[in-house]
Amino acid sequence: MPSKAWLLVALLLCSSVVAAAPALTTQEVEEALTCQCGCGLTVHSCNHLQCGFATPAKQEIAQAVSEGKKREEILAAFVTRYGEKVLSAPTTSGFNLVAWLTPFLAVLVGAIFVSIVSLRWARRHPRAYSATPSRASDTAQYQQRLRKDLESFDA
Amino acid sequence: MTHLGSLALYLAFLLAVHAIAASLWGVCRRRGMWTQSGVHAVYAVFACVLVAVIALLHALVTRDFNVEYVAAYSSSTLPMQYTVAALWGGQKGSLLFWTFILMLCTTLVHLQNRNKNRDLMPYVTATLMVIAVFFLGLLCFITPPFERLAFTPQEGSDLNPLLQNYWMTVHPPSLYLGYVSASVPFAFALAALITGRLSDEWIRTTRRWALTSWFFLSIGNLLGGRWAYEVLGWGGYWAWDPVENAALMPWLTATAYLHSVMIQEKKNMLKVWNLVLVILTFALTIFGTFITRSGVISSVHSFTQSGLGPYFLTFLILVLTVSFGLLFYRLPELKSENELDSLLSREAAFLFNNLVLVGLAFATFWGTVFPILSEWVRGVKITVGPPFFNKVNGPLGVLLLFLTGVGPVIAWRRASLKSLRRNFLLPLVSGLLTGVLFLALGYGHYYGLVIFSLAGFVLATILAEFARGTRARQAMLRESVPQAFGRLVSKNPRRYGGYVVHIGVVLMFIGIAGSSFFKIEKQLTVNKGEQFQVGRYTLHYSESKNTEDAHIASQTAVVDVYVNGQKIDTLYPEKRFYKRQNQPTTEVAIRPTLREDLYVVLGSYDAPSQLATFQVFVNPLLSWIWIGGLVLVLGTCITIAPNPAERRALALARVPATPTGETVAE
Repeated sequence: MPSKAWLLVALLLCSSVVAAAPALTTQEVEEALTCQCGCGLTVHSCNHLQCGFATPAKQEIAQAVSEGKKREEILAAFVTRYGEKVLSAPTTSGFNLVAWLTPFLAVLVGAIFVSIVSLRWARRHPRAYSATPSRASDTAQYQQRLRKDLESFDA
Repeated sequence: MTHLGSLALYLAFLLAVHAIAASLWGVCRRRGMWTQSGVHAVYAVFACVLVAVIALLHALVTRDFNVEYVAAYSSSTLPMQYTVAALWGGQKGSLLFWTFILMLCTTLVHLQNRNKNRDLMPYVTATLMVIAVFFLGLLCFITPPFERLAFTPQEGSDLNPLLQNYWMTVHPPSLYLGYVSASVPFAFALAALITGRLSDEWIRTTRRWALTSWFFLSIGNLLGGRWAYEVLGWGGYWAWDPVENAALMPWLTATAYLHSVMIQEKKNMLKVWNLVLVILTFALTIFGTFITRSGVISSVHSFTQSGLGPYFLTFLILVLTVSFGLLFYRLPELKSENELDSLLSREAAFLFNNLVLVGLAFATFWGTVFPILSEWVRGVKITVGPPFFNKVNGPLGVLLLFLTGVGPVIAWRRASLKSLRRNFLLPLVSGLLTGVLFLALGYGHYYGLVIFSLAGFVLATILAEFARGTRARQAMLRESVPQAFGRLVSKNPRRYGGYVVHIGVVLMFIGIAGSSFFKIEKQLTVNKGEQFQVGRYTLHYSESKNTEDAHIASQTAVVDVYVNGQKIDTLYPEKRFYKRQNQPTTEVAIRPTLREDLYVVLGSYDAPSQLATFQVFVNPLLSWIWIGGLVLVLGTCITIAPNPAERRALALARVPATPTGETVAE
């Protein structure tokens, strides 16, 4: 049954992925740009409706999207004018790649380390690899824990 | 009164130095009189800092604009609650407030340990007072809060309008309490390292402090999110601002510590790792303060920027050097009998849970400091904003949610494959059904569905734990269901309180997923009398109102809300203009329900034409974030509740260890 459950989950996820193939939206571009008014938000989220940066930027983005320009093309125009800091996330090339890869690499290295250490610690224990399943049922385990609790309570 | 405040601060500084010297001298020379003198000095420092706080509050409340701080952060028209809150609204006041909380915690620790932990306490005193000396030094010599102006201005500059919100009265104190109370486990950890008393004693003594710190950090972060949601008017609650990140990082490491410490208590493992986590949590609170005060990274919280960065950086380096130096020195004594009964055990699951939590903290740290790194390496300024954190932290968060569900399913020590299959079946089916249910309800986003399914999975594992425990009590003790359930929780508040906290976290995940992936937003300009559609709501802009007092001029739009032609509510989004600061703000109108929040912002209003621009958001499931927060509070309260078994364990920890080194398990 669990394997069927996983299959169903996979099917559900695949159908969602297939369904999602949207065209470029203004929101997508607006979220890739940081507002320069000092609000610290993206151009899309900037709440200053008459913001000196976000308002004209949104108009420009809407115009560019309606003209069929690509996301990278629109963003490049902003970078030319304001520098790389206008992008709300580092690019995925050159040194900036370090920003994206390092957290995942760190977790991966950590996972390898934890796995190796766990294996080593488990080997120290004679029963670590015992394939014999525990005979105690869940209820029995709880009863055992409860008995222990009661004993320590009475002590 | 301000002279008295200044004097009290200088006196507090001298007394704090005395407390350090007396405690260390007393413990080195084995002279109880000196260590006792150190403790008395702690109480005296607390009294002095309290006097300083009262003096600054007096200056604020009496509108003494000759005091530079009062003139900079208040005005004669500022409402009283914000006048009091101005105490932590600016740089100097917030440092004083921080010192006050530190001394409050230090005093409580000394009162709690009057007759306990005699070997550790002198070092605890010294550590906490070194921190106090740092802050008092800043207040006395670098940034004195009672500084007077050469003239007395007629009027103050007023508090930043964004801070004139009721969350200002609770959010910063919560966060400061969380930050500062992390000093206590840190001080005990350092004392344990110095004395070599590396058993569980310091951990059990500080468990409630660690939980308290975590609790206030959780509340502080949540309230900060709520504040941003209500005040900033962009429809969100978390913008991954560096200062927000600075508050999140110690929360993540503290969460990791609260989990891994259980392994030390149960299995005498991970001693070094737990010390690392306690040190990191404290260091990250100082790092957060450094970020907030230094201005090295641009942040919307720029109202507290100053030249204090180098001092905090130096202190941070000192903390890390001394702490890790001591840890390295004690490494041979910290070798624990690391042994896992099985790879399929809760211990192993906790190791991976710790990995993900620390990974999240690292990813947040990395994203926060990467702009500085980029400028150093390439000479190019870049921004690391929400898209980066959502893409990097998002998957790690989902992994954490999964592990939250796996933990309760796997037994301590060892789990058989058969029991795993049996325990996983119900949660897996629940998760799947939850996903299908949300899909049927119209929540069709891939990422969102994964989170909803995992939430269903985790909730099922937790509820199954409660059900099994209750059934066991019923069978053993012939108790009724409510009796069995109540006693199950009260006999082991730590375990079941923890599960309640997990339920809160799951609810928050549901709220985050709903509001992130299924948000509807619309911005449009309409005439008075016009109506427009956003999602299932029809909004009718019926009229606008002007109000004005000495402090604020305000423009309010009256918006009637209809669903299926039925009027269900009237909302009043508002645009305010704070006269003293010459700054406009938005007062959002929110209609929260369990299904979704209707969030209306009045962006601009043109008086002659009566044209109004509205920004409207429909945020599905967002209320579950705050409900989850309340459940988290409830769970933490259960966990902190007095537990007789724990008291016995603590008493046992204080006597010499048994030959087997075992301690009482839950």
